[in-house]
Amino acid sequence: MAREATLVAPAARPLLSRRARELLTGYLYLIPVILALGCTVLFPILKAMHMSLYNHVLIRPQEYGYVGLANYARLLHDETFWLSLWNSFLWVFGSVSFQFLGGFAAALLLHQSFRGRALVRTITLLPWIIPGVVVALIWEFIYQPNYGLLNDILSRTGVMTERVAWLANPGLAMPAVIVTNIWRGMPFFAIMLLAGLQAIPGELYEAARVDGASVFQRFCFITLPMLKPIIVVATATRIVWTFNYADLIFVMTSGGPANATQITSTYTLLQAYSNLDFGYAATLSVALLLIMLVFTVFYLRITRGLEGVA
Amino acid sequence: MRTPGRGLAERVLGGPVLWTGLGALTLFAMAPFVWVLLASFKTRAELYATPIVYLPTALSFANYVEAWTSRLTPFSRFFANSLWVSSVTMVATTVVSILAGYALARFRFAGRQTFLLVFLATQMFPAVLLIAPLLSQWYALGLIDTYQALIYSNFSFTVPFTVWMLVGYFESIPRELEESAMLDGCTNFGALCRIILPLAAPGVAATAIFAFVASWSELLFAITFTSQTEMRTLSAGLLFMVGQYEIQWGQLSAGVIISTIPVAILFTYLQRHLIQGLSAGAVKG
Repeated sequence: MAREATLVAPAARPLLSRRARELLTGYLYLIPVILALGCTVLFPILKAMHMSLYNHVLIRPQEYGYVGLANYARLLHDETFWLSLWNSFLWVFGSVSFQFLGGFAAALLLHQSFRGRALVRTITLLPWIIPGVVVALIWEFIYQPNYGLLNDILSRTGVMTERVAWLANPGLAMPAVIVTNIWRGMPFFAIMLLAGLQAIPGELYEAARVDGASVFQRFCFITLPMLKPIIVVATATRIVWTFNYADLIFVMTSGGPANATQITSTYTLLQAYSNLDFGYAATLSVALLLIMLVFTVFYLRITRGLEGVA
Repeated sequence: MRTPGRGLAERVLGGPVLWTGLGALTLFAMAPFVWVLLASFKTRAELYATPIVYLPTALSFANYVEAWTSRLTPFSRFFANSLWVSSVTMVATTVVSILAGYALARFRFAGRQTFLLVFLATQMFPAVLLIAPLLSQWYALGLIDTYQALIYSNFSFTVPFTVWMLVGYFESIPRELEESAMLDGCTNFGALCRIILPLAAPGVAATAIFAFVASWSELLFAITFTSQTEMRTLSAGLLFMVGQYEIQWGQLSAGVIISTIPVAILFTYLQRHLIQGLSAGAVKG
């Protein structure tokens, strides 16, 4: 496209100077963003890598010093780290799969035309935009063992007779925080897939209907294939985001009880906030980063492939 | 209105299934909000009663007044802090990403692809990665307990996304428009301000609101880079309130509602534009 533009440009203008001016303006416009992200992302990441090579515990400043890869060696032998990775997997898989299914169902429903659609849309999308700490507190209140809503409903309907401490029970804490995250994240899929549904040309469905395709056939052979790119992108974005997300668990359980909900990102926070072990926290976060980079490379491969098909 | 082509399955899906589904969906999304809203009007006795009381007997705003004026956890102050930090982040993010988004959408220069890739990759970085290094950075610069530290830190997650979205918007505007303006003697910057921005206004507004909402929700930076009560944002204040003493669910519920209202209002406006922006960005992904 750029080439076309320069070819069509009137011959009277000197080619080089125009090109040079364009380059200069382009870089000039990028200076603010380079500064903004250089200071808040790029430099801190390099700094984190640097910190991970040091013994840097705030309450033991006398032991500060270069330790090479000792923190990484510690990481490999840290059982809690491996447990946190497994927990992260459960957290991501449990959250994203149900967010997807629920969000897809919601998108299909919201795509229909009915009275009051705009209002229902706004209502169902709200959980996504309210602050994470608000989500966490709302659900902590619902899960509260003595005067929480959930125990009350379950006992009134006769499902359970005794009160359950949802967030204090090692077997129930993870499902409980995952349900909270499903509530929060479902609207994201709903919003993305709804946009995808709206982009599918109506004629496709009409033609299929004329050919006698049933509603299920139309779903399988039109809706699903047409939505595939958005499904892949949305799911990948969501996986990364959920893996990195610490707020909900941090507020609701702080990774407890007994590390039952300790995912890698909250474990990193624990090392930084409670143990004040900045060196090891940096090591953990670099490990997180590496995992995400590997995932991103796979993700880019997949989306490239999709573009080729489309 | 029934077309002859519609089978039994379709009528069932369009009727009972649709309405049951919509009912369940709305209930699932709304019930937790309604529960907290009700709690915010309850008296202490009603909050901790067994068996639990569903509806408050009177519409009491005592919890709101207490939360708003409390000296230990002053929500009026938290609200003002959040408003300031989110607004400045929003304005600065918008200016920065308009320039960057325009440059990336219009100019073909060396490293353009790399830039785009960096913006995409940055969105995948975990926030916890930045906490320790940013803390030592702000500490060294003497910015602990300042608004600047929070605003600058917020760039790390607002800017990559808004640039990515704006590149998409700007690319959808025909290049000929500003080229003819520039032939008429407009500078490049003039064309950006006078031709492109008015056309991209909905997209710019959407990205601006996104930056506001994202900053409003931010928690980890806010609790790490501030230590004084007067500097806390709403998110940090809410968390602080939990850790302070036995949880005061009445005040806390009021605080939750206070924190929700502004973003809920913005979101109703933003919804349509954000959907378009997300799908535009996603499809390009």
